[in-house]
Amino acid sequence: MAKLSYATAGRIAMREMGSSKGRFAFVVLSVAIGVAALTGVRGFSSAFRATLLLRARSIMAADLAARTMLPLTVEERAGLRRLRAEGSQETQVTEMLSMASAAGSMNPLLVAVKAVDPKQYPFYGEVTLAPAIPLAQTLTDTTVAVGDDLLMRLHLRVGDSIRLGDRNFRISAVVENEPDRLSGMFAAGPRVLISRQALATTGLLTADSRVTRRYLFKLPPAGPGKALSDTAVARLREQVEALLPEAQISDYREANPALTRALDGATGLLSLMSLVAMVLGAVGVAMAMRSHLQQRLDSIAIMKALGAGSRQVIKIYLLQTLLLGAGGGVLGVVLGIGVQMAFPLLLARLLHLTPGLHLEPHAIALGLSAGLLTTLLFTLPPLLDLRDVRPILILRRSVEQTEDPFTERWLRHLSGSWAQLTASLLIIAALAVLATWVSDSRRVGWAFALGLVASLVALLLAAAATLWVLRQFLRGTAPGGERSRVPGWSGLRGAGLRLPPALRHGLANLYRPGNPSAALLAALGLGVMQIAAVYFVQRSIVNEMEVAAVGDLPNLFLMDMSHEEVGKVRKLLETEPMVHGAPEMIPVVSARLLQIDGQALEQRRAESAPSRPGRRAQRHRSPTLSLTWPPQPATPPPGDTVVQGRWWTAQQARDAARRPLIAVESREAKWLRVKPGASMTFSVEDQPMTAQVAAIYTVDSWHAFSRAGFVLPQPSLAGLPVVWYGGVHCDPKDTAALRQALYERFPTVTVIDVAATLEVIRQVLLQVIYVIQFLAAFSVFAGLVILASAIAGTRYRRIREVVVLKSLGATRKRIASIFSIEFAVLGLIAGLVGLVSANLLARWLLRHTLHFAYAFQPWGNLGAWLAVGAMTVAAGWLASHRVLGQTPLEVLREE
Amino acid sequence: MVRLPGWRGLETLKSPDVTLDGQPSGVGPDRAVAMIEVSGLRKSLRTGAATVEILRGIDFSVARGEFVAIMGASGSGKSTLLGLLAGLDNPTSGSVALNGMRISDLAEDRLALVRGKTIGFVFQSYQLIPTLTALENVLLPYELNDDRGGWRAGVERARTLLESVGLRERMDHYPVQLSGGEQQRVALARAFLLRPPIVLADEPTGNLDSANGAHVLELLLRLNREESTTLVLVTHDPALAAHAGRRITLSDGRVVSDETQGAALRQVSSSRSETRLGE
Repeated sequence: MAKLSYATAGRIAMREMGSSKGRFAFVVLSVAIGVAALTGVRGFSSAFRATLLLRARSIMAADLAARTMLPLTVEERAGLRRLRAEGSQETQVTEMLSMASAAGSMNPLLVAVKAVDPKQYPFYGEVTLAPAIPLAQTLTDTTVAVGDDLLMRLHLRVGDSIRLGDRNFRISAVVENEPDRLSGMFAAGPRVLISRQALATTGLLTADSRVTRRYLFKLPPAGPGKALSDTAVARLREQVEALLPEAQISDYREANPALTRALDGATGLLSLMSLVAMVLGAVGVAMAMRSHLQQRLDSIAIMKALGAGSRQVIKIYLLQTLLLGAGGGVLGVVLGIGVQMAFPLLLARLLHLTPGLHLEPHAIALGLSAGLLTTLLFTLPPLLDLRDVRPILILRRSVEQTEDPFTERWLRHLSGSWAQLTASLLIIAALAVLATWVSDSRRVGWAFALGLVASLVALLLAAAATLWVLRQFLRGTAPGGERSRVPGWSGLRGAGLRLPPALRHGLANLYRPGNPSAALLAALGLGVMQIAAVYFVQRSIVNEMEVAAVGDLPNLFLMDMSHEEVGKVRKLLETEPMVHGAPEMIPVVSARLLQIDGQALEQRRAESAPSRPGRRAQRHRSPTLSLTWPPQPATPPPGDTVVQGRWWTAQQARDAARRPLIAVESREAKWLRVKPGASMTFSVEDQPMTAQVAAIYTVDSWHAFSRAGFVLPQPSLAGLPVVWYGGVHCDPKDTAALRQALYERFPTVTVIDVAATLEVIRQVLLQVIYVIQFLAAFSVFAGLVILASAIAGTRYRRIREVVVLKSLGATRKRIASIFSIEFAVLGLIAGLVGLVSANLLARWLLRHTLHFAYAFQPWGNLGAWLAVGAMTVAAGWLASHRVLGQTPLEVLREE
Repeated sequence: MVRLPGWRGLETLKSPDVTLDGQPSGVGPDRAVAMIEVSGLRKSLRTGAATVEILRGIDFSVARGEFVAIMGASGSGKSTLLGLLAGLDNPTSGSVALNGMRISDLAEDRLALVRGKTIGFVFQSYQLIPTLTALENVLLPYELNDDRGGWRAGVERARTLLESVGLRERMDHYPVQLSGGEQQRVALARAFLLRPPIVLADEPTGNLDSANGAHVLELLLRLNREESTTLVLVTHDPALAAHAGRRITLSDGRVVSDETQGAALRQVSSSRSETRLGE
């Protein structure tokens, strides 16, 4: 074959593009919108995630925290020094219970002492003090900051002194909020914040004192405006876990489960949106290129008649596709940067945060290659179809037709053509690679690509089946002599079923040779599936977050209520107007853990870390644990979710006095290495009690019960001494008043106010909700634009039909009603199949990758279905408007 | 005249000139060398469940330099025959040979090469590419078939041809900006660009008024003479066919007559036709 150089092929391709700019603008715009949505959403979401993670870090004041009851060994200290040498920062927070009194008074009060290094603590967030002075100036060798409840109880003021251990300290400020209040120790007694240096001088730290040590870590910054990568945190976590095997380690992603879920949900959803943007852009491209190549069939036939081989023709159009893809990609990246810059402005009022512009070469490369690759991939099938264009087309229009050209063509391609098969496999593989790249997960990438292919096959089958049924139905009701292949349908005509001509014409249009109904159905269905999946996933995540963000969740925690007091406290809370919802009260029975599975705790630990001789002396004491029972005998306490094993039945609860069962919080379970079926032996009031682990549960950290790590049925704990804890939701502005009221009636009850921290979390959740709703709306909008342009792309095909109909005397109204019926049927079928697939996809994503609850939304689905029908008609109308307005002669002249 | 490089192998296919009245100028058609050889040609098409037989067994040959008109009523199979002669389509059975080469069994790409280098086309509805200018349309066969000799040579030849058909001022116009006659003249220039040994014309004046039609025909015959091609012209117009040296008439997919100009029936190719005519 004569060689067609790339230069010549490029010249021919460029010439053609130059002469029909309007048509190619569609292709370029489809790619550009897809790429813009991809780069815009991705760029903005990474900036937003970085901002939110900073907030999440502030809740634990660090990237990572390790909590231990034991002092560090020499090796462990050396290990920490190594970490510091590698660039990580580390500071120690010491928490303990102690007695404090007003200087010169003998009236002691139990206080929760927290000793920090004010030069380093907190790594993230800030300690709010009144008066507002820097922490380093507040906490000196002679001064401390205290909670206002301490001032109330000891009748002191700022400037007065308290005695702590062997020394007096001047109170320099009131602690209003600590960033890590939720992740720190919840102890009875008002807060005393002191520097570690000062604590060392009090004589309170002895070998026997019960001290909780938290080591806070901060990773070196990743670079200006860049988020710390999760892998860097995970690596540090591994190092710390290896260094401090007995410590409870949590990183910022676990600082608050609700927040973490919100972030994970938002991140997952944003990835999904990026994928969807990519695929929708591709669908738009495929439809536009298909329509374009359809229009070029005559030109291609002429070229073939003039001696061009299939390879030469494909070369020309491949180059054209590449040029369009590259053009669309560049435009898309520019638009995407615009979108990234516009989002914060649009959201500034709602969010009160301004994520910086992240111009990452990686994201731009991703956008460009996604644009180019998807264009190429989705244009491959119509490009390969060019091989089938026969030059005889220019002499004879009626090229052989089969009964169902579309299905037959596909079957022929799949069975007979290796090129098509290879192209299909290439598309799937490349899609998976792209999806993996976009979603940062190989599993999600492959699931997405294979799911997409499965949906596409389902859609094509549904399209073929629908068109076949329509055809048989119309044959059955047609005035002519054709018989339907469905037994009984041929009788419809005899039974007097006559369809109005417009309806008949509109329906018949769908399966007419040359009509891209099946392709359009597949494209529309795929688009609907993607858009609706984004919407459903977004609704589920937002629903859960809204519950967390606006619910009456406890923000005041009450500690150390006696059995006699609890009823009275409950009564007081129920009468206070500033309290919302019923207070949660938790009974707590103190116990010491002795054995797990019959093995003494020391032995278990020695087995897990045999090479740590420095620890032996410390292990003589078993940890004291808080046991509780649930408010309802056979269901987990509010906020707790079983993740392993099963909660006990009412019958098992009744038998629990004889056969105690226990449920363990997941992090405690991990730390103690227990699973359902294990047995745990406690010492309660010096009496041993063995309980079998029935379930492992997670907590939401919102409810009072989140503070309890071990739950048993009430009969197991009957008759044991109980201390009550409680949680109550109060208007954040009234917490001080409620604390005052409680103190006056129940001076021994400690009240911990976490309203300020919870408000931060609530604000973050609201921001996440706004952002994902906004971005979902943007994705849906971009998707609709692309789909509308795909529908609009069919308008060139309609021109001849309109001319013929008009020449035969059809009014615009008649033609419009024919098109409306065609589009409505198309939209409703695509909508139905697309929504079914969307529900399946959303269900899978929510359950298996995002771990959120999926709920079918009947009204949402119905509304979406009708909306798809209406929008398809509207898009068809808009696209056909100009065609309808043209006179037949204008069109004939153009032809 | 500009000589295009890369065509030396095809020089032997060149035919002597043909005069306007269809008589060969100089030596005349070389009857010893069949430029087109058709034997047992059948073509049927499947439309839905039905199969329509368009050509039912055609045999004839065309000598180098000959000018043949293929006539017949609408639906007689003329255009299908022309398509098969040009290798635009594959026959259901039978064969077509161009200059001794059987093209009916060639693979698509090989066939494209034969089309590009051996045949020039003129169609009833011009078949210009609407997105290309007149010059670009004429240049297209050159670009598609060989541009090793440099684009400039091709452009030069295209300009010369367009000038020779009187379109010097219209070279940069798009088809939509040209009249039917002008479009057909562009198509003529395109058909002769690569100096093909065979030119096939399908009702070249069918869409034109009589004045334009006569002009185009005159140009076609002049170019045919100047470029020394074998010309096969499909038409249902006896006046147009009268210019040809030989007329083959089709009816219902069969050859019913094959006459040289001014002579009685010279040859009937198919035995069926013979039988029918004998009746």
